[in-house]
Amino acid sequence: MPALGLQTYIWNNNIRSGLLLLGFPVLLLGMVFCLTLGMIWGGLLPPGDAYGGAAAYALHLMIVDAPLALVAAGVWFVIAYFFNQTIIDFATGSRAVTRDEERDAYNLLENLCISRGLTMPTLRVIETDGMNAFASGVHEGRFSVTVTRGLLQALDRDELEAVLGHELTHIINRDVRTMVVAAIFAGIITLICQIIYRSIMWGAVGGGGRGRRGNVGIFLLVALAVGAIGYVLAIVIRMAISRTREYVADAGSVELTHNPDAMISALQKVAGHTHLDAPQSMRAMFLEDDDEGIMGLFATHPPVDKRIAALTQYAGGRIIPPAPASPPAQASPSTPPSDPPPAGPAGPWGQRRDAPPGPWS
Amino acid sequence: MVPLLVLVAIVVLLGLLIVGAYNRLVALRQNVGAAFADIDVQLKQRQDLVPNLVETVKGYAAHERGTLDEVTQARAAAASAGDLAAKAQAESALTGALGKLIAVAEAYPDLKANQNFLQLQGELSDLENKIAAARRFFNNAVGEYNASIQRFPAVLIAGMAGFAPRDFFDVGADRAALNSAPQVKFS
Repeated sequence: MPALGLQTYIWNNNIRSGLLLLGFPVLLLGMVFCLTLGMIWGGLLPPGDAYGGAAAYALHLMIVDAPLALVAAGVWFVIAYFFNQTIIDFATGSRAVTRDEERDAYNLLENLCISRGLTMPTLRVIETDGMNAFASGVHEGRFSVTVTRGLLQALDRDELEAVLGHELTHIINRDVRTMVVAAIFAGIITLICQIIYRSIMWGAVGGGGRGRRGNVGIFLLVALAVGAIGYVLAIVIRMAISRTREYVADAGSVELTHNPDAMISALQKVAGHTHLDAPQSMRAMFLEDDDEGIMGLFATHPPVDKRIAALTQYAGGRIIPPAPASPPAQASPSTPPSDPPPAGPAGPWGQRRDAPPGPWS
Repeated sequence: MVPLLVLVAIVVLLGLLIVGAYNRLVALRQNVGAAFADIDVQLKQRQDLVPNLVETVKGYAAHERGTLDEVTQARAAAASAGDLAAKAQAESALTGALGKLIAVAEAYPDLKANQNFLQLQGELSDLENKIAAARRFFNNAVGEYNASIQRFPAVLIAGMAGFAPRDFFDVGADRAALNSAPQVKFS
């Protein structure tokens, strides 16, 4: 269904995130299936004639193994879920502030929370010139919103409110949790890929003492291909989820503040000044992260001009000419298209570019 | 047996689709209602501000009776306006009258230096900004809702369940004035 406005736009992006998240178990099972098939072809498993061919046998084995794989994933999830909180607490190095220290920011955040009936998250500040912000916390009642000193100094009241609304939307939507789930799935798949890679290396070094060497080469080839494709896809899906959550948070901020212009000008101000020392795995949570990577496919955040275009198209925002210091992005449409976007996954979030056809297409 | 199951599946799926579409429409209509309540709160606050402002101006410029009366009347009209169109019109009249009042105040140096007046003026300007934002948000929500109830599968449900299109909060000629808070210069 096409997005007609802010609410439908949010729904669409949420559906998209859900489908992407669903892509992980599908990818995992697909990898297991292909590996099993490779083992059958390679003669490491019986050909499975009783089940009507190799593919049917592999499918049967996969169905039998699936619950086991899911239980393993579940255990991993529970462990990582709790460990994640510790990592975030440790890595942020931020300081919780009181109302008296940061009166403006604190009051803005509190007002936003009151309007949605939320327990106020802890407000934290990092003393750095970089302009960024992030929401963190996995457990109920232990969320926090962190902003940098540079951000507090550079943005005016409305813009700061828009940024706080963006981070608060991440909290309302439990995006940190979603990203933890995505990270864990990606981790599991990465681990499988590493196991494949290492066992091939060990097998090559050890000379493979088994008698039945016939078609083992085929299995190795299949395993290598599965490992490589799975590895890339896992990261691509994870980053795609991160990007859809950013669009939703931008829209949610407008929903909270009713001021799309402030969100736009805040994005224009922080663009290019977001540097913040943090581990790679945390960047996905930032307000903005311009480490684009290859073709934006591995970017945690959509490009700023796409986010602004979405805000003008769906939230009724107006682009106010940015400060003279930063040149306007060429790709940003100065006249927002007034007609509704075409049906299907087009629109500003349909920015797959040259993504390989993944399990979500 | 299989055809029956397929039939049941289709019926269930259809039912789910209808329920989903209906719920979407309800949520969108709810958004419009909430957005309107938001505008209303801001408008009410502005109306509450007016008597104070009028009293303050009166203290320094009592003989500007025409302008003061206009503001008071516009406020009364805005407070009692019923439906959306009347409200929009009354509020834009109030905006115009307030603008005139502020312009009149320009001629009174003592008034311009009054702390109370300055504070009220700041509050007014803040409120006008908020009203403009709330109004745009409301119109955006109305546009989305109206477009949704006119799209194909939903239009069937909308017709049967009585989802009527809503009016925009249109302030007509004074739109530009509402979009930006009144600029006041002290020179």
